[in-house]
Amino acid sequence: MEPDVSMETGSMIRIAVLPVGGAIPHHQLREYAAMLGRHTRIDLSSISSFYKEHQKSPFAHQPWETGCLRFKYMLGGAPPSPWEDFQSCRKILAVVGLCHCPSSPDLDLVDDQFAAACKGYSSALAKRCFAFFPTDSQHNLVKKPVQYDVDHNLYCVVILRSNSWANIRSVPPKDSVCNIMLFIYGFIIQGQHWDHSYLSQEHLVNGCIERDLLKEFKVIKAKKRRLGRAQKTIGDYCLLAGSPLDANAHYSTAIELARLTGDVFWHAGALEGSVCALLADSTVPKLFDDIGKEKSSNYMLMKIDFLCLQLDCMDQKDPVLEEEVKYRYYTVIQLYRRSYLQDNAQRYCWSRKLSVFPVYTVLISVSSWCELAKEVVELLMGAADGAKSLIDASDRLILYVEIARLFGTLGYQRKAAFFSRQVAQLYLQQDNACAAISAMQVLTMTSNAYHVQSRRASSKLQTSHHVVESIYLSVHSGNFDAFPLSVSLPPNTAKVILLSGIPTKVGPVSIPGCIVHCFGVITEHLFKDVDNLLLGAAQGLVLSDPFRCCGSGKLKNVSIPNISVVPALPLLVSHVVGGDGATVLYEGEIRDIWISLTNAGTVPVEQAHIALSGKNQDSVISIAHDTLMSALPLKPGGEVTLPVTLKAWQLSMVDSEIDSSKSSGSTRRISKEGSSPLLVIHYAGSWTHSDQSNNTENSVPPGRRLVVPLNVCVLQGLRFVKARLLSMEIPARISEVLPKPLYVDKNPTEVVSRDDSMVKIDPYRGSWELRLLELELSNPTDVVFEVNVSVQLDNHKNEHGMPILNHENADLGYPKTRIDRDYSARVLIPLEHFKLPILDGSFFAKDSQTSDAFCSKVSNMPERSAKAELNASINNLISKIKVRWHSGRNSSGELNIKDATQPALQASVMDILLPDPLTFGFRLAKNGAQINGFPEESIISDDPPSQCVNGNVIKCKGSISAHEMTHMEVLVRNNTREMIQMSLSVTCRDVAGENCMEGNNATVLWAGYQAIGTVSRFVFSSIGVLNDIPVEVPALEEVKHAFSLYFLVPGEYTLLAASVINDATDVLRARARTDSPDEPIFCRGSPFHVYVVGTA
Amino acid sequence: MANTACFIIVSRNDIPIYEAEVGSAPKKEEAAHQHQFILHAALDIVQDLAWTTSAMFLKAVDRFNDLVVSVYVTAGHSRLMLLHDSRNEDGIKSFFQEVHELYVKILLNPLYLPGSRITSSHFDTKVRALARKYL
Repeated sequence: MEPDVSMETGSMIRIAVLPVGGAIPHHQLREYAAMLGRHTRIDLSSISSFYKEHQKSPFAHQPWETGCLRFKYMLGGAPPSPWEDFQSCRKILAVVGLCHCPSSPDLDLVDDQFAAACKGYSSALAKRCFAFFPTDSQHNLVKKPVQYDVDHNLYCVVILRSNSWANIRSVPPKDSVCNIMLFIYGFIIQGQHWDHSYLSQEHLVNGCIERDLLKEFKVIKAKKRRLGRAQKTIGDYCLLAGSPLDANAHYSTAIELARLTGDVFWHAGALEGSVCALLADSTVPKLFDDIGKEKSSNYMLMKIDFLCLQLDCMDQKDPVLEEEVKYRYYTVIQLYRRSYLQDNAQRYCWSRKLSVFPVYTVLISVSSWCELAKEVVELLMGAADGAKSLIDASDRLILYVEIARLFGTLGYQRKAAFFSRQVAQLYLQQDNACAAISAMQVLTMTSNAYHVQSRRASSKLQTSHHVVESIYLSVHSGNFDAFPLSVSLPPNTAKVILLSGIPTKVGPVSIPGCIVHCFGVITEHLFKDVDNLLLGAAQGLVLSDPFRCCGSGKLKNVSIPNISVVPALPLLVSHVVGGDGATVLYEGEIRDIWISLTNAGTVPVEQAHIALSGKNQDSVISIAHDTLMSALPLKPGGEVTLPVTLKAWQLSMVDSEIDSSKSSGSTRRISKEGSSPLLVIHYAGSWTHSDQSNNTENSVPPGRRLVVPLNVCVLQGLRFVKARLLSMEIPARISEVLPKPLYVDKNPTEVVSRDDSMVKIDPYRGSWELRLLELELSNPTDVVFEVNVSVQLDNHKNEHGMPILNHENADLGYPKTRIDRDYSARVLIPLEHFKLPILDGSFFAKDSQTSDAFCSKVSNMPERSAKAELNASINNLISKIKVRWHSGRNSSGELNIKDATQPALQASVMDILLPDPLTFGFRLAKNGAQINGFPEESIISDDPPSQCVNGNVIKCKGSISAHEMTHMEVLVRNNTREMIQMSLSVTCRDVAGENCMEGNNATVLWAGYQAIGTVSRFVFSSIGVLNDIPVEVPALEEVKHAFSLYFLVPGEYTLLAASVINDATDVLRARARTDSPDEPIFCRGSPFHVYVVGTA
Repeated sequence: MANTACFIIVSRNDIPIYEAEVGSAPKKEEAAHQHQFILHAALDIVQDLAWTTSAMFLKAVDRFNDLVVSVYVTAGHSRLMLLHDSRNEDGIKSFFQEVHELYVKILLNPLYLPGSRITSSHFDTKVRALARKYL
């Protein structure tokens, strides 16, 4: 079986067309084939001049004026058909070679090749090779324009100067046509004397198996059969020679003889031929006298045109001819079926081969009629059923192809699609290029029903055994060498491939698409076409479900990047000295890492810039920019090593919460992946280099970027448990000297030099309120930490290690606190050092060194900024406190105490930073008269000298005897810059806390002077002496008030001074944290202890 | 019961609204697709044939290899199609008529949108029961 047949195939002379010589470019081959294709029909009138009168024509009715010869060009040749003896039209009667001279320089070689190729076609009567586009040398070298081979078959190489037949219009084909004619003539003339062996043995044997009894009859019958078959063959050749009337006459004889002898198969063949002759006859209406109808020749021409076009122009058909053809063809089909069934009973194999014919004729007949859809459908379904009986898979495939094609032309799209799917399935089972091409044609024609884009469908089929020999980027700019790839695509798969190449010259690169070598065809695929392709894909490509239109609706537009080639750039390669693994650090740990940069490029690095990116950039404390800059220009192969100081960041609070909920200490927190900072180094070669190559001034010179991840793995280190502010009030012991107030002296060096910075509690010296910041730290890790606290003072550049006031080791000289693993410890930080000497509103408001700490005191400041200022002051305070830790040999770092201490300090930062407006002190007056005009004698006279000496000794120790008048002074110091008026009160309490100077049970007698104006009076009322003493203290000065006490009972007493400030200023009110202007401002001094010795 | 029987209801818009493999043969994935393709291809013939007769039951309209397609066209041009390998025409006719009744009941459901897929499990159960009874 073969695809694309029709009833008129029987009247076509088959010519094999073979490309010979070197490879012909595909477009050229197509063009040559198309030129041949224009010559499918040659009028007999145009070749009549080649006909020599002396050659007797065997045709009685050759229509020299109106007849024609028809040709069918088999491009690429065709294998010999097993049926060529049965149907002569299947023989290849001529071979045409096509040679493309530019690719075939040696014409002798072409000669030999062509001759060899022709050997495969033993039935070929004419062999011609056409060479196109000869070079000058080739043109001159032609030695044998016309050659006859041994068999006297015409054989030559024809050189054509151009690729057109125009100048030699029909000459080359025509003389070979004549040759064919000659052969046919000779064949037919000799027809009567043909040897029996000419006919296929198969058919003869069929008739020669009868019994001896009927032998005589059988011999006659066999002779008649042979005659009938010969008549049929002659008819075939007549048809090919363009004489349908002669053919018809021979067929009629053959039909008669076949009927008589029961030669069913040849009967069917002859009848089929007669139908072909009937249709091919365009000139002689007489033929149709047999069926009693008149035909106009004009009509018959139209009929042939119609048949050429196969299935159009239905309305102009002659119904009687139509009926006749149909009737005969039904008979043909039935006869073929009969022969198939008959032979089936006798010889299975042979009959299987015959099974082709019933099916085949159905196809041929159906292709001729299509208005009778119902009948056609019946026939086609019958033919489809016949598929089972076909032994050859390619026959079955062609059958399905043809069925699908015919259903498609009938408008039965779904049926067509179904059978084309069957074709595709069969195709997948076999490897046959011919079948694949047919299958693709069918699919493209009929696949609408499955919503498959035809192009995609065929390409899908093609990819079944698809190997893309080479695919590479197509570069139009010529400065890019694309690397070709070879890709194999198994059926129904897709691949993403990476195409690459190497730039060769500086400048823009344009890559519009890629070039594909596949099936020997080179095609360029443009990227902009991909959009259309995607659109097609979105419309549905899924064959599996015919009812639905599937496919993803999402389209992605492919944007073609703008690429330009820049001059060679340096290439920096980095590695971390000591290994590229992550550096393991505890929270707050400070460590240097060394990064080595090597120029692996071919040009020196002339510029470089380091920046940071990524998370936790704060953790990079310093980068040695200078080291890099001094290394520039970095020659190819050069290396530079940069130290980078890292401080491990704190792990997030979320983690710590999780951790605290878990079992203590056993789990470790580790920093998350990707939280490390990145070092980004931008670098470039020289300016001038790029300037020379392209003159665009505005463009940034090309450079590269190197990203060095600083891989840090942070482990949890010391952890804060709690921070709180401790306030202690240690009463001072009264003595002749006042305890030295801190920061009274503005000279800070004195403060520093004092007591070698160690707070030692001297019970005689006393203190005011002592404030301590207590940090509770725990160590959840499995190493030991040592903690060291230092305070950085404002005015000092150097730091002073402060002692650790641990409960256990307060007296130890070593300042470090050791915290074992899974233990916690408390670290105390004294905060008195931060106290300022003067409480001063104007001082706060000014932008001085520490003024930001006090801005919050200015009452007209908005609340919000006050709060911000407060926070700032706390931060300022905290930033002075450094908590450093050491662990092991080389781990050290700093704890971030800010978050922990801020809430602890928030409430009392004012108390820490600001002095009280008034400070009170008591001391024993050595000489009260000196101070307040109290007569010195009165005191001295009361004290015996010895006692005085003794008393002095005692006083030196700060103790006081009972039953003795003790002169004392209360000192009030004004810490502000404004005069303060107040009423001062002094109380004395015993150990029980009761006032022991007033009331009935007073155990302390007192005496003193009431200071009214400038005159002091000795009075006995406590008003003005110990209570409500009006005092005016000038700014930053102190005032003494003297009084005397007489203790009746030895023991321990506490002296307290307090005052109510009159007409308080805003500063004072702010310090006292009151907003009301009427509220009295009350100031209280620290308590002083008095030890009274003696006997009660 | 038939070895192979694939029942399908195709709406007037050529969209399948109900599908059921009701044969007793074990199901094969590619065979199920094959059945769909055969039924789909038969729609072409049904389309022509439906207008040549007033009968709803069109008998066997198409065949492929051993499989036959029988079709029943309702007044609303919904097509009940059965792909089968048995030759029990009377049983198939009864099957179609009873399924048609069921289908009408589905159509009468105000919540059913004509032409949409039939998801009722009750319908499915009944159809399978009818297939066991008649095929």
